[in-house]
Amino acid sequence: MKNKIKVYRAMHDLTQEDLAKSIGVTRQTILAIEKGKYVPSLDLAFRISRHFKVNIEEVFSYEDEVRTVGID
Amino acid sequence: MKKNIFYLILGFIALALLAIFWYSVESFTPLLFMIAFVIGVVLIYLTYRRVDDFIEDERSARITEKAALRTFQVFWVCFCAFSIMAVMNLLYLPRLSREHWFDRQSMPVSMEIMSPKIIGYIQLGLLCLMIFLYVGFRFYYARKYGDWETDEE
Repeated sequence: MKNKIKVYRAMHDLTQEDLAKSIGVTRQTILAIEKGKYVPSLDLAFRISRHFKVNIEEVFSYEDEVRTVGID
Repeated sequence: MKKNIFYLILGFIALALLAIFWYSVESFTPLLFMIAFVIGVVLIYLTYRRVDDFIEDERSARITEKAALRTFQVFWVCFCAFSIMAVMNLLYLPRLSREHWFDRQSMPVSMEIMSPKIIGYIQLGLLCLMIFLYVGFRFYYARKYGDWETDEE
């Protein structure tokens, strides 16, 4: 799961702390999501995207791990 | 209530419990400590509910959940393996033993696989193991879910 939280934060001039406070989580959680260490629940993902007033798929994207071994 | 005050109260409760435990051992009144322990846990829970600067989000809940589950998975195997021995102690009936069955003139000999004192020590050890396991798993999952990640911000 990839996300553009960092980009949207920069666009809205928000710190991790600001975003965390406004959606009711810890700063560490925002940091963990940004770094890809933690995959948020659907509920939290919706809250984050609604905070930036965009659709969920604009902030979060799911990528299949495609193995291309042996394919030229 | 602030988080630091909660930790302070927690420390006082722990100290009080330690003192009661000591007194219970000295005066051989286990019931006193059992009651004090339950009251202590209830007090901690009630105090915890009054703390308003604890943010428990889904990530921290997940860390707690995972650590508790893994602790339980390891602990029940250890506990059951040990309990088999304790149950054997409990179920061993000298009158039904093989020796007494073949030679009815012999006196049934009461046997103990393990003394109750040793069983107590091992149970204490298992409880300590559970605490260490939980702390260990908590550290592991906190690290896995980015608790000590640093950022340029």
